[in-house]
Amino acid sequence: MRDASLLEAKGLVRRYTMRRGLLGRSVDVTAVAGVSLRLERGRTLGLVGESGCGKSTTGRMVLGMEVPDAGSVAFEGRPMPTPGTQAWRALRARMQMVFQDPLGALDRRMTIAAQVAEPLEIHRIGDTAERAFRVEALLRNVGLRPDQGARYPHELSGGQRQRAVLARALATSPAMMVCDEPISALDVSIQAQVMNLLVELQAEHGMGLLFISHDLRAVRQVSERVAVMYLGTIVEEGPPDALLQDARHPYTQALVSAIPHPGRSSNRIVLQGDPPNPASRPSGCAFHPRCPIATARCAREAPALRDTHEGRRVACHHADAPVLAEVA
Amino acid sequence: MSDSVLPAAAVAAPPKPRTRLPPAVALGIAWIGLMLAVALLAEVISPYAYTALDLRNRLSPPVFMDGNWAHVLGTDELGRDVLSRLFFSIRMSLLIAFGATIIGAAFGTTMGFLAAHFRGVVEQAVLTLVDFSASLPFLILALAVLAFFGNSLMLFIVLLGFHAWERYARIARGLAISAGAQGYAAAVRQLGATPLRVYWRHILPNIASTLIISMTLAFPEVILLESGLSFLGLGVQPPATSLGNMLGYGREYLTRAPWILLAPAFTIILTTLAISLVGDWLRDRVDPTLR
Amino acid sequence: MLRFIATRFARALVTIVMVVTFAFVVLRLSGDPALLIMSVDAPPEAIAAFRQAWGLDEPLWQQYLKYFGAIVQGDLGRSMRDGRDAIVLVTERIPATLALTLPALAIKLGIGIPAGVYAALHRNSLTDRLVMTTAVLGFTVPSFVLGLLLVLVFAVQLGWLPSGGQGTWRHAILPVITLGVGGAAVLARFTRSAMLEVLGQPYIRTASAKGVPWRLVVRGHALPNAAIPTVTIVGFMVGSLIAGAVVVESVFSWPGVGRLLVVAVANRDLAVVQCILLLVAATMVTSNLVVDLLYGALDPRLRQMRAGGAH
Repeated sequence: MRDASLLEAKGLVRRYTMRRGLLGRSVDVTAVAGVSLRLERGRTLGLVGESGCGKSTTGRMVLGMEVPDAGSVAFEGRPMPTPGTQAWRALRARMQMVFQDPLGALDRRMTIAAQVAEPLEIHRIGDTAERAFRVEALLRNVGLRPDQGARYPHELSGGQRQRAVLARALATSPAMMVCDEPISALDVSIQAQVMNLLVELQAEHGMGLLFISHDLRAVRQVSERVAVMYLGTIVEEGPPDALLQDARHPYTQALVSAIPHPGRSSNRIVLQGDPPNPASRPSGCAFHPRCPIATARCAREAPALRDTHEGRRVACHHADAPVLAEVA
Repeated sequence: MSDSVLPAAAVAAPPKPRTRLPPAVALGIAWIGLMLAVALLAEVISPYAYTALDLRNRLSPPVFMDGNWAHVLGTDELGRDVLSRLFFSIRMSLLIAFGATIIGAAFGTTMGFLAAHFRGVVEQAVLTLVDFSASLPFLILALAVLAFFGNSLMLFIVLLGFHAWERYARIARGLAISAGAQGYAAAVRQLGATPLRVYWRHILPNIASTLIISMTLAFPEVILLESGLSFLGLGVQPPATSLGNMLGYGREYLTRAPWILLAPAFTIILTTLAISLVGDWLRDRVDPTLR
Repeated sequence: MLRFIATRFARALVTIVMVVTFAFVVLRLSGDPALLIMSVDAPPEAIAAFRQAWGLDEPLWQQYLKYFGAIVQGDLGRSMRDGRDAIVLVTERIPATLALTLPALAIKLGIGIPAGVYAALHRNSLTDRLVMTTAVLGFTVPSFVLGLLLVLVFAVQLGWLPSGGQGTWRHAILPVITLGVGGAAVLARFTRSAMLEVLGQPYIRTASAKGVPWRLVVRGHALPNAAIPTVTIVGFMVGSLIAGAVVVESVFSWPGVGRLLVVAVANRDLAVVQCILLLVAATMVTSNLVVDLLYGALDPRLRQMRAGGAH
């Protein structure tokens, strides 16, 4: 048991059953098809991918909100307890989630202060006076005025609401936080503020962060490591700068090339084929129908995620081929 | 542990803009207020005890039918004062309707929450019960149960409480599922809240307005059921009296003393009308999706 | 579609079984029928003999199985009062009840639906308000009050019609009106709101914006779509053809199934009550089933949804 590892997920698989139409047979949709990841204390892992690639599902499984169909999650070396049990509930104080839609995540009939105090009540931390004191400190900590605690969610702006959600998540001083697209519902002008706040809070509280986003740039700002997901699997993982400058997986290369770069003429890779559909996963490498360098082998055989160099991992048969963007 | 720091804040609804009351609704509210006052003050304002006999003034007509002022609304066959009986009947009918409506709402909401929380077998069981309730006219069901379990006031109220439970169950289940799927309920659950806390402190206050409106809509139905069953002689039993009970009794004297029957008849009509008007108005204002 | 019908049938069957069980549980566990039928001071041997004769001395589950088996074979027991077959007692009352409820249903449909459609098409007109006011009154005036008021006016004061009993067609007039008016009001209100809902839909606006004559818009789009929710309530009315007249039959001393039920309940005549409960449930479930199938025919979307999730 290494001390640095806060959370370790191995081979997570999650399938949903969907029935189409009246006489339709039920179709198994594999949202997550074998994801392993490790989160370290005080560090941030970014998880990037298009919508529907299974990143949010992965986030919920990592938190123990959903039970994986295969694979395991261990938090601080111990396996994740069954959802709904006493042990599971107690663990909620140690791991928290920040949602995409702060208005939806807040109860519109409770004041902000009452909602920030709620985790303290649930986990029976402190008495009434101490809680009130702590709520005030938390609100200040996330950049809200204590008097804003008396407001209702609809009386705050989007950015302020997300701050309130952050204050609630921080209330029990969690060791780990999963942020699922925490800024994508906010105005662009507010996004940077909230991102900075997140980085500050992490530095201050030292929690491990799993930052889920579709936006590679946002992830890059906060993460020490980034994992790129495509159709339920991680296709590439590594330090963000290395990924940006030297992407090895063709999908990552496409994502990187889609980032507008001032000064550099765009040689943007436009992906061919249909957008990914988890209900009909292609054989072999899930990316092969859209991959510009796919070969017959890719359709046959799924590539394993293997270590390459300098702490990087890639799942591609042709990862050692010259970088596509340079060829093109 | 729901008695914690800020319980009052949980139910405080955001302020709503005021609008003018339609006159019919204002009248309805006034009538309901009057009925509540009568029910609460029945002993104080009744000129006689509702069982008191006045054998010299039997079947005395009301004042507006050339009766005497001793009995404003007349007397019945035993010389009991119709006005006093009416007051106590209003009290009894409202008591039953309130009790039954609250029981129905509590039971139905609980069942709906159970279905939403456990899904699977529990949900199917609740839905089957809902189907069952919908498959029999409630009057028939109530008739069977009442006559065979004998008759006590408590049993009667509880029985009427099962009227319309399936409506609350449907509403509560639907709203709880949509609340639980995403949003605040999921957020609180991941904070580590027990299901009891999630449902009691978060979901219930959020769907309370919808439930209260359903209660206003069901209330007159319960009054009608109560009076119907009492009219058939299977509800409130003498010497206790209720509006339906008075009607059933007055029916025997339809030709000789129609006033015995007319007073409770119009009280029933006006009360159910008033509550329906107010309920409809509330629904249209607060929750137009409830139809 | 087959699967949809099969699911609905299964549900209907389950409901019937539940009603049977309910009847059994409630009626058997509520009291000792032997002591109710026999007087309290009857000799113990007589009571024992009675129990044995009616199978009341067996364990409950055995009584239940026996009871269930009998019902499956169409044997609904005999009246404890006069020893005749319960089913015969009940069925011979059905024509009398239908003589009231069928004309009443005609009134409900014939007045309620056109009034509702008219009110919706002329929203906020004087007629609309009149229809709505009547509709609210129709809902809030209970049938026994309406019935008694009608008796008071037309039988007692004016003396035009008989106040109760069965004999000529004139005897049926007041009860039929009593039954019909309330239902017509409910139906009018319901039809109106269903129509209004449909008329507010974008496709109606599109159709009339395209220049389709309003008459055709109403006939071709609005009416069929408004029919969907209305079918439910009509189904309920059809389902209560047998049970819907309990109170009115009592008011007018009409010798139908409803009166029989009230009397049987008062006498704790188990077999008769169970028989009526079953009969009512069966009509209700059948008509619900028909409504569901009709729904499927009227609205293909719904057919899929229901079969898909059952939620």
